[in-house]
Amino acid sequence: MFNNQNILEYFNQLPTLLKIVWIGSVVLFILILFFLFYLYYLRTYLRSKELISKNLFTQYENDLITYLYLGENTSQINSEQQTIIDKMKVSIQNTFKRTILISVLSKLKSDISGEMALAINQLFIKTGLLNYALKKLESKKWNQIALGIKELTQFEITNVYNEISKFQNYPKQEVRNQVQLYYVSLFHFKGLEFLDNLKTPISEWNQIQLLEILQKFDDQEITDISPWLKSENDSVVLFALKLAKIYNQFQVIEILLQLLNHKNKEIRVSAIEILGYFQVKETKEIVKSNFLDRSSEEKITFFKILQDIVTADDEAFIIENTLNPNFQIRFLAFQLLKKNHIEKLHELKQNATEFDNSRIFNFLEVV
Amino acid sequence: MDSSTVQIILLIIHTLFFIYAFSVIVSYIILAIISGIESNQYMKKNSFVNYNEILSSTVSPSISIIAPAYNESLNIIENVRSLLSSHYVNYDVIIVNDGSKDNSLELLIEAYDLEKVNYLINEQIPTKPLRAGIFKSTNPAFEKLIVVDKENGGKADALNFGLNISNSQYCACIDVDCLLLEDSLQKMIKPFLEVTNVKVIASGGVIRIANACTIKEGKLLDVNLPNKWIEIAQILEYLRSFLLGRMAWSRLNGLLVISGAFGMFEKKTAIEVGGYDTNTVGEDMEIIVRMRRYMEEKNVKYKVAYIPDPLCWTEAPDNYKILISQRNRWTRGTIETLRKHRKIGFNPKYNLLGMLSFPYWFFYERLAPVIEVIGIIYFIILIALKNVKWEYAFAFFLLAYLFSVIFTIIAIFSEELTFHQYKKKGTGFKLIFVTLLEPFILHPVILYAAIKGNYDYYFNKKKKWGEMKRKGLSKKII
Repeated sequence: MFNNQNILEYFNQLPTLLKIVWIGSVVLFILILFFLFYLYYLRTYLRSKELISKNLFTQYENDLITYLYLGENTSQINSEQQTIIDKMKVSIQNTFKRTILISVLSKLKSDISGEMALAINQLFIKTGLLNYALKKLESKKWNQIALGIKELTQFEITNVYNEISKFQNYPKQEVRNQVQLYYVSLFHFKGLEFLDNLKTPISEWNQIQLLEILQKFDDQEITDISPWLKSENDSVVLFALKLAKIYNQFQVIEILLQLLNHKNKEIRVSAIEILGYFQVKETKEIVKSNFLDRSSEEKITFFKILQDIVTADDEAFIIENTLNPNFQIRFLAFQLLKKNHIEKLHELKQNATEFDNSRIFNFLEVV
Repeated sequence: MDSSTVQIILLIIHTLFFIYAFSVIVSYIILAIISGIESNQYMKKNSFVNYNEILSSTVSPSISIIAPAYNESLNIIENVRSLLSSHYVNYDVIIVNDGSKDNSLELLIEAYDLEKVNYLINEQIPTKPLRAGIFKSTNPAFEKLIVVDKENGGKADALNFGLNISNSQYCACIDVDCLLLEDSLQKMIKPFLEVTNVKVIASGGVIRIANACTIKEGKLLDVNLPNKWIEIAQILEYLRSFLLGRMAWSRLNGLLVISGAFGMFEKKTAIEVGGYDTNTVGEDMEIIVRMRRYMEEKNVKYKVAYIPDPLCWTEAPDNYKILISQRNRWTRGTIETLRKHRKIGFNPKYNLLGMLSFPYWFFYERLAPVIEVIGIIYFIILIALKNVKWEYAFAFFLLAYLFSVIFTIIAIFSEELTFHQYKKKGTGFKLIFVTLLEPFILHPVILYAAIKGNYDYYFNKKKKWGEMKRKGLSKKII
């Protein structure tokens, strides 16, 4: 018969290694039991939390819709609306409920506009959610700060500009992104002033977001982008190049021409593309002057834009590049010849070269 | 040899086995801790991301989804529809019909109003030639679809063809029978666009098992746990691998593999390294190792990113025969890749890749089944010689078993605390039940398949992909 005494005696006479292994097994076994109970609790908790969250969401949504339809103008609150605000004030003392209320407000905010959107912004202030968002800015956790800025952006709290500006050069990229989105969402093109002194790179992801936000505004009067095109920060230059194209900034053509010899390849490629889009003929001479030293991306982009700005004096340059080792450049060169100097194309077809161009010729014949 | 020499040899063998087992356990614990940190960071980071602007933006980078298809007539129409339903704006879908012997092409032509088009292919990577040609739809609703019909050259060759004809900046290479969620592309492209200090060359997605899930018109409606133990055991295995293993390696920037079922690449780098290797059955791992090696040799700072969100759902084998065939292929793929790039191993020139990722894969992925079998044989010999110290054997076996169980439970926790996909009542119990059984019902099969893979690699060179019959996810349409 096993009893505690026997087990203890057996254990004591074991070699040290075995003792360690048995202790390890017992610890693991206890941990497994603990985890099993905790897993059961966790799954039950998550399920019930999801259900509660769903119900609360519906409840808050109904309250909010009632609130919005009760008010005829945004400056005056009637008693029924005040009751809803008071009810929400109590609810948001609980973090979980506060999070759900914010998500309901956000959802409604994205679905509606005009007076009702303004009413939601006011509700954000009146319920005291603003104070919670501002408190997040004091947090030591970067994600809380980012979340706080996001809420202040969503509910258009413009008077905290200075508080938010403190995070402009925050070490964590996600916080900086939210700051930039705040500026542009609430101050439109004027919000882009942060680019003047930006030391850190703006990610491509954030550039796209900023551009999309800017395009939503009715006022499309863009500020002068020249300083940004001359920025030491390459990501600022790239962003300004995108602005130049989207907002047809013909007045910066001179700077764009200078960017054709920028040290950053990506900037050079973008500059070629935009100058081609603006059909600036001076581009040709600058690019052609050191064409051989340029990267294949620049060469290909240049040949693409050449389709729109080609002139008779480009013929020799194009013919020269029908011998380019890069397939795409050869194809674009032959395509240009087909469009502008068909007799030259027929002539070149007869010449044997070190490259097999038969596929290109066959393709050009049928398109 | 006198008895003391034998004793010394035995002691050395025992010590080596012990060190190996101990180091495996320690490495798993470390990986679990790192993955916990990374999961926490990832969830925080993505809790306030707005994907809508990226979706609608015309300046978002272009993506080509490349999906090779071979004899997929059973589900190809639904699968293509699923791929065409992405919410991303700037993308196209390239289906490469790799010399299928069935009527896949005819079905596609009919369903999507395809017509043959002239297409100039920049053959930067050599591939098998076209068969019927390249097709595009006359219906504007399917303008994003390109269908290529080429001679059979295998999956890698078909993917290379897709890379050649793609005009996009990024390529998402996927298995045609996988189901992609509508927001997959914007989530996968995010690391390429958000990282500013290094160049992201690839991003890998998590593969989830769709067996028993409810799918309608190429969309995942409801996640269910399958009934068969073998399927549930694979779910647990995937959770361990994707939520613990790869998550940790992603944090260390040491990922050596991106699943062939769903991965995204920067096309320029993928072409610069020569595309997929057509001479291996592990082309998904091989291209990542080659791309990493290329970047290390060029001395460019880079990253292979990883997205743990459940974006891609696939059908897992539901019988042992197909499972063995699949794992056999994975083993051969690993051996081929590690052998081809053996120069990297313990080479400080390759930094973390050479000094950590590669040796880890070699010792704990490549050699693990071999060492395990040697251990089993050695144990059998000891039994035959009546030289087993049973109290040691039992204690160590119990410890190993309990460790494997707890490691899987941690993976389940990771799932519950992050994506919580298996919500239904009773599924937790099923997962735990199979967790307890998995070391006996799945592990021996995986071990057998790995050993068979080793055998086939060395003694059955003709063996290529092996059987991978699928029932098709569309069968579960409600």
